[in-house]
Amino acid sequence: MNNRLQLALIGAAAVLIIALAGVLVFVVAGGDGDKKETTNGEKTPTASATEDNGDGGGEASDGELIIRGTDPLFLDPAVAQDADSAAYIVEIFSGLVRLDKDLQIQPDLAEALPTVSADGLTYTFTIRRNATFHDGRPVLAGDVKYALERALQPETASVVAENFLGDIVGAKDVSRGRATEVSGLKVIDDSTIEITIDAPKPYFLYKLTYPTGFVVDQRQIEANPRRWTQKPNGTGPYTLEEWRLGERIVLQAYDKHYLGAPKLKTVRFELSGGSGLVAYQDGDIDITGVGLDDLEAIQDASNDLNKEYSQTPRQSLDYIGFNTNTPPFDDAKVRQAFALSVDRTKIAEVILKRAIPVANGILMPGVPGYTTDEKTYPYDPDEAKKLLSESKYADNMPEITLAETGAGGTVGPTTEAIVQYWKDNLGIDVKIQQAEAGTFFSDIDQGRYQMFHLGWIMDYPDPEDILDILFYSKSRQNNTRYTNPEIDALLESARVEQDTEKRLATYQDVEKKLIQDAVWMPMFYDVTHALVKPYVTGFSFPPMVIERYRDIEVNR
Amino acid sequence: MDGLAAYVIRRLLFLPVTLLIVSFATFYITRWGPGDPISIYSGHYRDEEAFDRVREQYGLDKPIVAQYGIWLERVALHGDFGPSFRYRDRDIPDILGPKIWVSLRLSLYAFLIAFAIGIPVGILAAVKQGTWLDPFMISVFLFFQSIPALVTVPVLVLVLSAKLHWVPPGGFDGMFSKSMIIPTLALSLPGVAGIARLARATTLGTLGEDFVRTARAKGLDEFTVISRHVARNSVVPVMTTVIGLSLVGLVEGALFTETILGIPGIGRFTVEAVTTQDYNVVLTIVLFSATLFVLANLAVDIALAAIDPRIRFGGSNR
Amino acid sequence: MTALALSREPELEPISGVAGSPTARALRRLLGKRIAVLSLAVIAVFYSAGIFASLVAPYGYSEQNLDKSFEGPSLAHPFGTDRNGRDTLSRNIFAARTTVIVSVATVAAGGIVLPLTLGLLAGYRRGIVDAVIMRTGEILGALPGLPMLLLVNTTLRPRIKTWLTDTSGQVHVDFLANSNFLDYFLIFFFLSWFGWVGSSRLIRSQVLTLRRSEFIIAAEASGAGTVRILFRHLLPSVMPIVIVGVSAGLGAVAGTEIALTFLGVGIQPPHPSFGALITDGASRAVLENHPQLLLVPAAMVASLLFAFNLLGDALNDVFTPRAR
Repeated sequence: MNNRLQLALIGAAAVLIIALAGVLVFVVAGGDGDKKETTNGEKTPTASATEDNGDGGGEASDGELIIRGTDPLFLDPAVAQDADSAAYIVEIFSGLVRLDKDLQIQPDLAEALPTVSADGLTYTFTIRRNATFHDGRPVLAGDVKYALERALQPETASVVAENFLGDIVGAKDVSRGRATEVSGLKVIDDSTIEITIDAPKPYFLYKLTYPTGFVVDQRQIEANPRRWTQKPNGTGPYTLEEWRLGERIVLQAYDKHYLGAPKLKTVRFELSGGSGLVAYQDGDIDITGVGLDDLEAIQDASNDLNKEYSQTPRQSLDYIGFNTNTPPFDDAKVRQAFALSVDRTKIAEVILKRAIPVANGILMPGVPGYTTDEKTYPYDPDEAKKLLSESKYADNMPEITLAETGAGGTVGPTTEAIVQYWKDNLGIDVKIQQAEAGTFFSDIDQGRYQMFHLGWIMDYPDPEDILDILFYSKSRQNNTRYTNPEIDALLESARVEQDTEKRLATYQDVEKKLIQDAVWMPMFYDVTHALVKPYVTGFSFPPMVIERYRDIEVNR
Repeated sequence: MDGLAAYVIRRLLFLPVTLLIVSFATFYITRWGPGDPISIYSGHYRDEEAFDRVREQYGLDKPIVAQYGIWLERVALHGDFGPSFRYRDRDIPDILGPKIWVSLRLSLYAFLIAFAIGIPVGILAAVKQGTWLDPFMISVFLFFQSIPALVTVPVLVLVLSAKLHWVPPGGFDGMFSKSMIIPTLALSLPGVAGIARLARATTLGTLGEDFVRTARAKGLDEFTVISRHVARNSVVPVMTTVIGLSLVGLVEGALFTETILGIPGIGRFTVEAVTTQDYNVVLTIVLFSATLFVLANLAVDIALAAIDPRIRFGGSNR
Repeated sequence: MTALALSREPELEPISGVAGSPTARALRRLLGKRIAVLSLAVIAVFYSAGIFASLVAPYGYSEQNLDKSFEGPSLAHPFGTDRNGRDTLSRNIFAARTTVIVSVATVAAGGIVLPLTLGLLAGYRRGIVDAVIMRTGEILGALPGLPMLLLVNTTLRPRIKTWLTDTSGQVHVDFLANSNFLDYFLIFFFLSWFGWVGSSRLIRSQVLTLRRSEFIIAAEASGAGTVRILFRHLLPSVMPIVIVGVSAGLGAVAGTEIALTFLGVGIQPPHPSFGALITDGASRAVLENHPQLLLVPAAMVASLLFAFNLLGDALNDVFTPRAR
């Protein structure tokens, strides 16, 4: 073959490959260009469009906090149901009421807590006169009505709206498409709104602190229905300055906020990166969580980092649930035997390095109704064996599988340890099955699992949020399929009990009975372990997702 | 060369068929799993009635074939790949573009280094064939190829970041930052052996060619012969093949390095999209890589045909 | 894994003619190579450790002792213990067993049976059979392997599991549903599904060059049927391709298991596998304080893969006369 032809062909191949790469780059660059256009359309003062200026702490000025974050899914408060999205939504948006750091309800867009009618059904809110959206437009009662109705409308496609707003009279008519207006929402004048609920439920205000009840800008949504969340015009203390998927999010203080200009001007969330501790040591981030295996070293007082270390309990419980409908866990004795045969203290000490405490009940410290006395089963293998031999499955134990969510490789060593305890003490070889969160939750829904390892994080600090939602026989979230008329009756009475003390006592009663019946095996409460740079003041780890950056000061 | 032209045209004509079958199969498989995006993103909230209402909004209640038809029409007529269920306010090309761009830049250094080491090593090994140096050099790099990225990356992070604090422990700060060092090392070293072996084989072929013999006969010194004549003829085919095949591996290439180091590239994102059943995003990624695969392979075939006219294509020969 | 993407096998020279002997001669040449023998020895040690795991390992793979968490090397535990106080050495030996089961099953199906049958058929019968097999291969080949494996695992696997669990009244299905057999089976099934394409294409082109050769024509003239021609006459001459493919495949599957398990779709715990061991040991803090938890499985896997790589190199040499 002639040499020139050969060269030409090689050239052609090279051109084809280069063209391929070129197309790639073009697609990519084109994608970038599009994005800039859409955000420019809303006249944003973009700081800089340059590519590679993200080299951490170097250029940080006072008043900027740099931390690790996670990509939110969708910054529409009506739709959000995940903690990742909520963490940003509570800063960018706000509602009539909010939770403060002690989890007390405080007025937010409302100038004071609402006046409640004598029958406990009608709540009247007065909206602050200086409350404005980020574009300066005042927030009116009509905006609140619009936001709540929009959250409920089927087109909004929110799966949580009914859960949080369903107590309002007429809410379900809207969510089921039977009406467009919620009859229980009444605008009295521009700054007054009246909300009527279907029964005197003392926890209703808590439900309004959830993002579903936050105010959104009707004009912006109608002008740009699909993309308004990329630059939302909210009412919270911060505006969304920048969001590069998987790279970073920047929140900028809204100085005309109705509660005063936030002290912290900029919060920068780094959405990618490796080991947080190393990045913290390098000064690239100001706050980091501490993992189990670094904990011992850092808790040692001689460690340099020890002064920057703190721990905060979270309202979160790790537990093992039994499906009370399937063998062998339809027999309470089997459940009790399983609960008695695991040495949780040992696991906490050895495997969890004392990072988190053993649970002494279902309700966590900080939740109203929590008591410090030991309510769970102790470690007693002999008693466990005895109960097992008395159970109806003593001689014909079926195969048992423990399910847990898992997305990253291996089962936690905790689960493996638990399973080993059952093998050693009860002689039962429990299999472990990991499932993707989606699979897991739909399988749990259908009662496919015999037992499962799971956690529960409180949405609002009221026992109703865990006991009623998870153990009421007709609740959608009742994944243990537990049915007990006595418990049902207690839960129903607690719902509308107006005397707080009596109400909490009822919940404590329910908690004790549930544990005795071993529906759940409470394992551990959760704790946040973190390092905070000494130049950051006013930072705390709230036990739940609440607005938290406004009062922080950074003096590098 | 008729065979080649016909072959190229046939392959190009078959591309839409491939994409159609691939898209339908993927579409079907994604929707086969238990649960769907609506129920996955709802975590604890299990309100099947509410889920059904939302599914209706997204057309997920229709039969799969009907859903596929709607999707196909949108893609074919409007270039609209459908909504991402995870990031609902973004178009899929806007989501994938920056990720692909990151991975592309990441692999660029890795290739440069792998070539810079692999080609000289391969040529040297060929020239030194029969001595201990040939198997030794190839073996050294085969060893690097044998260590999984899951081992190399954590060790590099421990030494270079956690102990020495020379480089950040992960992330991506652009092409000219220290964050490139660990991924470049982890991605380039395992690739050297493959390139070296290829370069060695090509060089062995070239060494027997007439023009090399002529050059030697002319009395040119060995170095000149190798650098002028042999190298040029070995480098081009190797680079073409490797670059072509590596474009194919763009999605998977840096998957583990990206995942461990928390780099926002397409590999890591693909894993997330699959495990969270973000239907349309998964589908788009699969179609993207399938197209890339077919085109890049075609380019490599053309290149190989140019290099070695003995290779023939298609069933029509003989 | 860049390495995987790059390992397009070099074209093999056609080995024409007489059945049996060239392959045998090449293999004898292989045994003359010191590196090849050494690699074979390493592989043999690894495989026998895996096969006889329950005899060799001093402890069970899930035998825990919470009083002995994270112990360093000692006489009782030569490589120390892990977080749950389990013996690192034993867990690695049982992980080798997992690797052996998965890779042998996968390679038997995806590296030998499927590519041989399909490649021989496509090359010999040509026409519509060839077109269907090769186009199917092309489409399967165009799919991005790892993402597809992940996808199939997250969607199909639960389906199959559910189906097996629901009908667990029957004994044979019960066995499948409740043992780890299913995990192994699913992995090897999906891997071989995507794995046959490469070698069958090589086999096909080899057959294409042979099918008009004299000895095949002679066989056809004497009235031999398709099956006989395929397996008596064509099979011997494609053996080199199969042998090289098996050697490469065994290594590749061992590597892929690690990848899949890291991504959470491979071997399910508490069964140990190298993927799980490496993932556990790779966290920065664990690596810093207990490096043996990563280094022991890493060394075992790396030496196995290294041996397969060297062996593959040697095999290429002995089967490719030109490179001599």
